[in-house]
Amino acid sequence: MPRVTVTVRDSTGQTATAVADYTLTPPVLGGYYLSGNADPTADISGGNFRSLTQYRSFADSNVFPGYNKQWLLTLGRSGMQMNMVLELKHYGAGDPGPQTFTVDGVRYTVPAPTMTIQQRPGSVWPKAYGYGQVIAGQCDGLFARALSQYRTLGFGVNIQLASELDTDNEFGTTEAGKAYTWAESDARAVQAMAYIVDWFRDRGLPSGTTFSVGVGGFDRASFKRTHPESLMSRLDYLQWNVYATSASDTALARFRRTKDWAVADLGPVALSRPVIVAEWGVRVAEIPDQAAWIATVPPAIARLNTERGPFFARTNYFNSGWGTLSPKAAGLAALRSAYARPPYV
Amino acid sequence: MAAPTVTAALNATSYAPGAQMLLTVTYGDPDTKTLTVTVVVTDAQGNSSAPAKVSAVIDPLTVTVTDDSGRAWTRVSDNGTVAVYRAVA
Repeated sequence: MPRVTVTVRDSTGQTATAVADYTLTPPVLGGYYLSGNADPTADISGGNFRSLTQYRSFADSNVFPGYNKQWLLTLGRSGMQMNMVLELKHYGAGDPGPQTFTVDGVRYTVPAPTMTIQQRPGSVWPKAYGYGQVIAGQCDGLFARALSQYRTLGFGVNIQLASELDTDNEFGTTEAGKAYTWAESDARAVQAMAYIVDWFRDRGLPSGTTFSVGVGGFDRASFKRTHPESLMSRLDYLQWNVYATSASDTALARFRRTKDWAVADLGPVALSRPVIVAEWGVRVAEIPDQAAWIATVPPAIARLNTERGPFFARTNYFNSGWGTLSPKAAGLAALRSAYARPPYV
Repeated sequence: MAAPTVTAALNATSYAPGAQMLLTVTYGDPDTKTLTVTVVVTDAQGNSSAPAKVSAVIDPLTVTVTDDSGRAWTRVSDNGTVAVYRAVA
């Protein structure tokens, strides 16, 4: 711990001293996501990119490293920190029916997903394995399959359960014909997330394994509901996503919003956990000069990390959806430049 | 002669790389006094010059700041009792 010492000396040589100790937080890991879980190697080459977000469904038979994702092994073994978002959501490709498979000699049958999430009016509601199904142990085979694959990777990852629980539950959920409100769904989700973390932690995990639970972080009440101390004590990181979608959005304000809710509403265990921003982005429609906005992120993160509350440990730019870089070359150059400055170095 | 006193306070306990660090030093010494000598010259006819003033500090204090990590601290302000120093984390 560095120490600064102040000495005051008078004309006769009498002195008084005072000391103040401080700590330095480690550099923030600048990170990336490329649309479609695509290979980011070309985009990040030559830049200080040290963190990556990936999305997988527990329904898929290849969670680690993922289908046709040998590049993930290369990046992970070279030290890239992986934030693996593992979802109960069924991505819709393939048969959403029951699955029977064998993992390490054990035969598992997992029933079809019976929950719908993201029930936005007028949209098609995605299927997901239900929070009740998880708690009843019906999805243990999915976890066993993912764990078996994970053990072959050769490196530890952060497992982020769910992409955004608030997005999943915002319009309520339905499981096995029964409807649940947003708040009810959050409470059930917390139980299911705790079940999954415990399931994994009770088994041998690669060293460096950490856990978090995913939220968009756009709703204060939901953020509080999904971060009880009982769950946070099982987790290593806080997580939320950050987007600028209005011309007046500043980086400081957008990264600050959910942190302020955390400081105001969460308990000491939660506040002791650093933050992974699995997705951040600036929408070109409202903010045409994405590069200029990106350049304001390093000082914003540096400032927020000096303030009370959890510190930002990783920020992964989401080059997809709202965050799509256009023009891509200018956006990538801005990211490279941002990640070459403190607090990223 | 009395001994000087000093306290040091940082504006945070933890800093991210590149963050501005501010150190507030509050110091004093009971013996430290600032006195002002005022000189007026008067001639035999009773004409006086304008007063000339000069200040002197009795038992002045010097403040030094060191950092065992080698970080350089720069003085931003000093009013004789409170000094503020700045560094970059």
